[in-house]
Amino acid sequence: MRGILGELAFYLGLILLGVFVLALVIVSSAMMSRIGIDLPEEARRVLESNLTQGGGRWGRWVVAVVSVASIASGVFGLGYRLLHLGFSQERLSASRKRAIDETRSLAGRDSAAEESSQSFEPEFDPQEFPELPTVPRRQGMNESPGERLRFRLASISTGRMSVFGSAALALGWNCLCLVLLAVVVSGWWYDMPRPILAVLMVPFSCVAVWSLRVFLKQVRQVAGVGATVVEISDHPLQPGGQYELFVSQMGKMHLKWLKIELVCEEESFFRQGTDVRSDHHVALRQELLKEKTVRVDPRGPWEQQLSFELPENVMHSFAATNNVVRWRLLVSGESRPWPSFCRSFPLLVHPPLMSPPDSPR
Amino acid sequence: MNVSVCRDDGSYAAGCQLKAGWRISRVELEELQSVEISVLWHTEGKGDEDLGVHHFQRYDRSDLERLPLNDRHEIQCVLPASPLSYQGHLMQIHWKIRVRVFLADGREIVAEQPFYLVTHQPELNQELITDPVPLEQRHDAPQRKSLAAKLPSVISRLRGRRSRS
Repeated sequence: MRGILGELAFYLGLILLGVFVLALVIVSSAMMSRIGIDLPEEARRVLESNLTQGGGRWGRWVVAVVSVASIASGVFGLGYRLLHLGFSQERLSASRKRAIDETRSLAGRDSAAEESSQSFEPEFDPQEFPELPTVPRRQGMNESPGERLRFRLASISTGRMSVFGSAALALGWNCLCLVLLAVVVSGWWYDMPRPILAVLMVPFSCVAVWSLRVFLKQVRQVAGVGATVVEISDHPLQPGGQYELFVSQMGKMHLKWLKIELVCEEESFFRQGTDVRSDHHVALRQELLKEKTVRVDPRGPWEQQLSFELPENVMHSFAATNNVVRWRLLVSGESRPWPSFCRSFPLLVHPPLMSPPDSPR
Repeated sequence: MNVSVCRDDGSYAAGCQLKAGWRISRVELEELQSVEISVLWHTEGKGDEDLGVHHFQRYDRSDLERLPLNDRHEIQCVLPASPLSYQGHLMQIHWKIRVRVFLADGREIVAEQPFYLVTHQPELNQELITDPVPLEQRHDAPQRKSLAAKLPSVISRLRGRRSRS
């Protein structure tokens, strides 16, 4: 956790430093000459000296380019780190492998696809197991081989987009503050004080600190709660089928309760005027496990293996343009000092007797 | 215009063969322009409609001239594995056989016969391999019920006769 925060602080620092230096360069080179201040001889000498110019005519612009590079690398690093915040190693490697496979298939190399099909998805007879129109494809589920059970499900963590939002707000506002600070400092330096702007810097700085705190809080919320691993004995599921489930919660937490639920949701999209709206309805919610007072330790993650039966006569997964029926496993908990968390693991439910007998092994 | 399916309960297992018939009566050939037959699913409910056509056949004027219109014509297709018929809270999935008749004066007449696409049952496997029996022979034939299924109605009928006598 400290490592992640340190990394994020480093990237943020790079961006802010770059913005500050760039603002100073722009202010001193582009704006000061237009102001037309009658500078004292000594000050003019200092400003026109090689040291101030950055060692030559182009020195100032070298500093500007370096600061732009610093901003760019900070933004890239911060974006990459936020994008993969809370991802497990397995998920990262699976996504990398998929990206490599896609690149290879685009390049026309079938060897990688053959290799992966041998190891992950054995061939099956399409006559025996026909296509399933409107049932989402299994490839999109991002599953991987499990350690205890056959499949490890990939999670869709909630609240990731809000982290991006707060990161953008914190970054934008802090950059703005630093630019204004550069203007205020330059004003003092060149005997052109801007007292109103200096006074305004106080509330601006308060907002900047607040936005940074919100961002860090959300980072803690996403990254602070340890990884959740869910493995299942078979996938895709079939109505009426019996399945084993293994759930492991890592991190260092004291949970008031931890709950595992099987949820089937209907989602409909409809147009209202020029807006597209959506509506959700939980068609089925089955509580598989609820445990109170759960202690999770870095040396001993909370683990539970249970079995459950998918009810018969339930709808299979369905995805059309405007209507969706989706299944998922929800692992949620209320923890201290972290806020409550909820992690979603999408499942695929096929119509009965239509699943190909494949295995990731 | 008449569309009918071969099973009384209108339930077909996924992956099995659908046999149905359509007939147009009391319409002159000159009044017709074309006929479209489709086996489709569509959604109904709060969301905007989704529609998927599984089987489609179009008869133009030249095709219609060769068809005896008053006779029953066969629709035959293997049903897909999904989506199954569904009655949910926000959405329903309906399967239908739709016959759309385009008249020469520009009007359109639509007739629909709903049916259910249900879970594939192992005991219904024999439906997957259907012999090429002419539709007329199979169409609307009364479903054979087992003796156990018939027993309650037979007993109640006998009781009714006894009480009357």
